Amino acid sequence: MELIIFYLVSSMAVVCAVGMIVAQKPVTSAVCLVAVMFCLAVLFALLNAHLIAALQILVYAGAIMVLFLFVIMLMNLREKEGLVSAHLEKVQMVGVLALGAPLLWVMSTAKVFVGAGGDVKDLAEFGTTRGVGALLYTEYLLPFEIASILLLAALVGAVVLTKIKLR
Amino acid sequence: MAITVKKVDRNVTMTLWERSYIPEMTRGMIITMKHFVVNLAGLALEVVGGKRHRKIMTIYYPEENPVIPPAYRGRPALVRAENGQEKCVACGLCEVACPPRCISIVGGERENGERYPVSYTLDGSRCIFCGLCEEACPKEAIVMSHDWKNLCEHDRSKMIYDKETLLYPERNLKKRLNVIREKYFNAKLYHKPSEKD
Amino acid sequence: MGIAEMIETIVKIGFIIGLTIGFFAPMLAWVERKQSAVMQDRIGANRADFFGFTVIGLLHSLADAIKLIFKEDFIPRGAERALHTLAPVIAVIPSLIAFAVIPFGGKYTLWGHEVNLVIADLDVGVLYVFAISSLATYGVVIAGWASNNNWSLLGGLRASAQMFSYEVAMGLTVIGLIMFYQSLSMVDIVAKQDNFFHWGIIWHWPAFVLFLACAVAENKRVPFDAPEAEAELVAGYFTEYSGMKFVMFWTAEFIEMVTIAGLCVALFFGGHHVPFITDAELAGGFSFLGPNVSNLVAMLIGVGVFIFKLVALLILQMTIRWTMPRFRYDQIMKLGWKMILPLSLTWIFIVGVGILTGVMPSP
Repeated sequence: MELIIFYLVSSMAVVCAVGMIVAQKPVTSAVCLVAVMFCLAVLFALLNAHLIAALQILVYAGAIMVLFLFVIMLMNLREKEGLVSAHLEKVQMVGVLALGAPLLWVMSTAKVFVGAGGDVKDLAEFGTTRGVGALLYTEYLLPFEIASILLLAALVGAVVLTKIKLR
Repeated sequence: MAITVKKVDRNVTMTLWERSYIPEMTRGMIITMKHFVVNLAGLALEVVGGKRHRKIMTIYYPEENPVIPPAYRGRPALVRAENGQEKCVACGLCEVACPPRCISIVGGERENGERYPVSYTLDGSRCIFCGLCEEACPKEAIVMSHDWKNLCEHDRSKMIYDKETLLYPERNLKKRLNVIREKYFNAKLYHKPSEKD
Repeated sequence: MGIAEMIETIVKIGFIIGLTIGFFAPMLAWVERKQSAVMQDRIGANRADFFGFTVIGLLHSLADAIKLIFKEDFIPRGAERALHTLAPVIAVIPSLIAFAVIPFGGKYTLWGHEVNLVIADLDVGVLYVFAISSLATYGVVIAGWASNNNWSLLGGLRASAQMFSYEVAMGLTVIGLIMFYQSLSMVDIVAKQDNFFHWGIIWHWPAFVLFLACAVAENKRVPFDAPEAEAELVAGYFTEYSGMKFVMFWTAEFIEMVTIAGLCVALFFGGHHVPFITDAELAGGFSFLGPNVSNLVAMLIGVGVFIFKLVALLILQMTIRWTMPRFRYDQIMKLGWKMILPLSLTWIFIVGVGILTGVMPSP
């Protein structure tokens, strides 16, 4: 049962990811990206990480992608505009391949990552809000706080920038 | 009655209580809910067979008709006097007064020398129900009746009324006649037509 | 998963779908007409009849359904066909599946089989609801964009900006509640409200007011219906929709109302609990019927109480909808970011202090 869902969802994710790259219209791309996010969330849920799944949908699909769509709609991009010439497109393809190939190699030997997150002591609490929360506020407190300060700085920066523009 | 103007002070500074929105919102909701409960109780009583006691303003139109006020301006009508003849003398004042020019009269003379309209046509599709014809008429011969139903047609040619359609017996128009007499008398514009002329 | 659990889940899903789409959606369409009419000293729709029986206007929902099914499904020129068709579906589904974590009853043992009256008892229940409701934005945004119409586009833009502004505030309003009950699971939160003095509304009524305001804004109903403001934008994001697709947007709105009401009941009004009576006492009161039947009776009473509270909150939402005038768009934004957000943050702080000092005894 879980295997069927896994293959179904992951194949859908791949199809949507390809669709995102190939799509002619920006909005179609964005919608495909949302679908990819949603599929990823389902995969997280299958891995028993419900909190991460919920956050994935809430933050990425729910907030960030809506902002993307918002900007696309504000600029009213109907068709792919000819910003990139055919010549540049070829250069882009080469770049993507050059960077993508090592990435694929790393991912195919992904066994190196197994065990890196072995800090989870209690398997029953794995992926639950309590488990993640306990880890965040004990062992990873410092990185967590640093990340929050970074975000706060970005927040303040954004507010300041809009104020300058208004003046 | 003179028109009164209610002055609204638009520079109100709201108190903190009002600006906090929630209490005033609750007050508004209590008012609407009060209407709801009172009307619901009234409707329920009516279903059970109680007295028709409700604040509901709706008129069930085809079954019920609205109450027409006496000063209502419906379709213009020609007054048929007691002797069966129209009061109109085909002077043409209404024709002149009519802003959309929907009235056209062909005058004639009876054997006893009285003038009368041979034909009196009123184009209902052009009439704006302003009542100026009624105001212009020296003989109280054209009056705004209380006719308001079935004035619409799919075909404009059907809305051209001839003399026979426009003629109403005088007693049917009493209400409106009283209104205009009172109105013009009060404005000192009205001279009651004497029996002689 | 055994056969029994499978059947149980299917029955529960059927119950919820029947309750929302089958019962509440058409009933709310009727209530909206009738309640607004009676509130405004009118009578309301009562002319649709079936051999002379009008059933106080109830048949209008049926007549509407028949009319809309046979209506032309129009897609304007220049519209994105696929997205235009997809948008109403995206609008309906999140509002429906958000109901999955709302418990409509407690846990009962019936003939040796434990029944938990919630479709999915997720550890992240509250977060799940917010995550799913954030997806509902897409239906609106895509509908606005795909219609190739400026009014639709403006409606979609307004809707998206409004919905993600209020999502933040809505999430923050319930944080205090989560701190108080020390759980994200809806089932846990409801279970901890078996004592009347632990109900969310007793301790967290400011949070309830803020939450309801945010929820109504999320649902884009009056007074927050700037995205579909008739006076300015024709019908906003669904200007170009007709027939069944139009119905789907309306169904989504009504189901979302039910979901909001269900969420409020579960978080603030003690779920299925009768005030001052615990589940065990309720079942004990019918113990003369035998353990199984008494549990069954307790279960039915619990579900009935839940639906009663649901209906009360629906009527509250309807009253708000027919009392308030519409906010201007900048007022909506100001209210969301400058009033509700700081207030909810303050409330989190107050709850934290209260729990630490023991003023607010966490159950």
